[in-house]
Amino acid sequence: MTVWTPTDDGHADLSNHDTFTEGPPHNTFRRMRREAPLEWTDWDGGLGFWNVTRQEDILKLNRDTALMSSARGIRMEDQSYEEYLSRRTFQETDPPEHMATRIKVAKAFSAPVVAGFEAQIRRLCDEILDATLQMGTFDATKEIARQLPMRMLGQILGTPEEDLPWLVEKGDALIANTDPDFTEHVLDKMDTDAYRLMPFNSPAGAELFDYAKALMAEKNRTGDTNGVLHMILQPDKNGEVLPELEFRNFFCLLVAAGNDTTRYSIAAGIQAMAHQPELLGKMQAGGEVWQTAADEIIRWATPALYFRRTATRDIEIHGQNVREGDKVLFWWASGNRDETVFDDPFRVKLDRAPNRHVSFGQGGPHVCLGMHLARLEVRILFEELAKRIKRVEAAGPHRFLRSNFVGGIKELPVTITPA
Amino acid sequence: MKVTWELADGTEIAADVAQGTTLKDAALAADVPGIPGDCGGNLSCATCHVVVADDWFAAVGGPEATEDFMLDITEAPREAHSRLSCQIEMSAKLDGVRLKVPAV
Repeated sequence: MTVWTPTDDGHADLSNHDTFTEGPPHNTFRRMRREAPLEWTDWDGGLGFWNVTRQEDILKLNRDTALMSSARGIRMEDQSYEEYLSRRTFQETDPPEHMATRIKVAKAFSAPVVAGFEAQIRRLCDEILDATLQMGTFDATKEIARQLPMRMLGQILGTPEEDLPWLVEKGDALIANTDPDFTEHVLDKMDTDAYRLMPFNSPAGAELFDYAKALMAEKNRTGDTNGVLHMILQPDKNGEVLPELEFRNFFCLLVAAGNDTTRYSIAAGIQAMAHQPELLGKMQAGGEVWQTAADEIIRWATPALYFRRTATRDIEIHGQNVREGDKVLFWWASGNRDETVFDDPFRVKLDRAPNRHVSFGQGGPHVCLGMHLARLEVRILFEELAKRIKRVEAAGPHRFLRSNFVGGIKELPVTITPA
Repeated sequence: MKVTWELADGTEIAADVAQGTTLKDAALAADVPGIPGDCGGNLSCATCHVVVADDWFAAVGGPEATEDFMLDITEAPREAHSRLSCQIEMSAKLDGVRLKVPAV
């Protein structure tokens, strides 16, 4: 049994969010990798774009930041310069400017700092699984996958527990801004431009801005130095402090991007367990599998389906004339199923090594800041889950997000039998 | 020109490396475990950490400022001769260089 079989006809419209409600159109990506490694997509919502689908090309172009700039937007939507300035984070900058900001936040998410969270994460997993597994049949995205990154975010930020559901709801409204289940302001169906200067073009951005500001004011008032925000706001070696606008955009980034990606990785892992029953046995055998399992689950999930770059000059790639200013999408989702890189790419193999997936945007300076934390959360969640159960079964069809940008199973009915 | 990586368990991996290739790219090409080199050589990830053998450190040289910062946040603790191998380019004077891949 395969975990999941793509149903698209090989010519899916990659600009249309509806294309992705049945999961990423992998038949289209496969055709493009074979026949059209740089294919153009017209888009009725703005200027069209180029699609890069072979992993080799993604890696080559991702490291070439002089040719492929992040500083004109990283999603397919066109942005005015004004919008760009007010909404950008260091995701939307190029070297050397990118590194000047990144270095201020890098330590807080570095491998040695994150390793210190292990006991905390395990305690959260205990709480979540003890409360959930007695339910028998439930939505695993809602009850498990959504819970861990949300509660870990609270600990990292040092926010009160009772604020977390609200924060995550706003984060979802930002990042899943094309899915009507998550926002009233569906990006491609909105008839207003009132929110265009806010992060992700969403009113939730303004609310998060205000929250971040109030949170930091309260922390400063009480002298609370816990959490990553305090670390990020410390002056660097040269005495420089993150400017307020940058801090607030970074806060939105943490709440949105740092949260749903781990959620959808966990959801994809549980979905894989329901369709490849041997995975549970391999997890329960333990040992070395835990050195590789998290990366394979994250490869399988690919929560960030693409990031966009913009060509800084005319160049010919695979016989196509890419013009200066053309948008170019790197489809991580396709790179992670590239049959020239992965043996049997549509199967989850927990011991896959080496595992040169690109879920974190590997190969370029924008590689995911939170990757160490994501891996740790995913590993511990599945370690703790596998200890407690004897079977995972699908209890109905799962539903994907309506988004060509975030790939995720938003509803995952399962029956989990405790051990 | 030759590069040898010594893994934490004592295993050695040797490879011929061309002039100008970074030692991170060389490690990826030779499938050296423990060097994922996630950021493509942009000093953003600190995942190509190696410890240069004592008698080779003078030839390799020390890190510049950004690398120096990133060496403080490597997964395995920094050692006196730690470097990020994306910042070391192969050249004639490094022919035969030996690098330790630290245990994590």
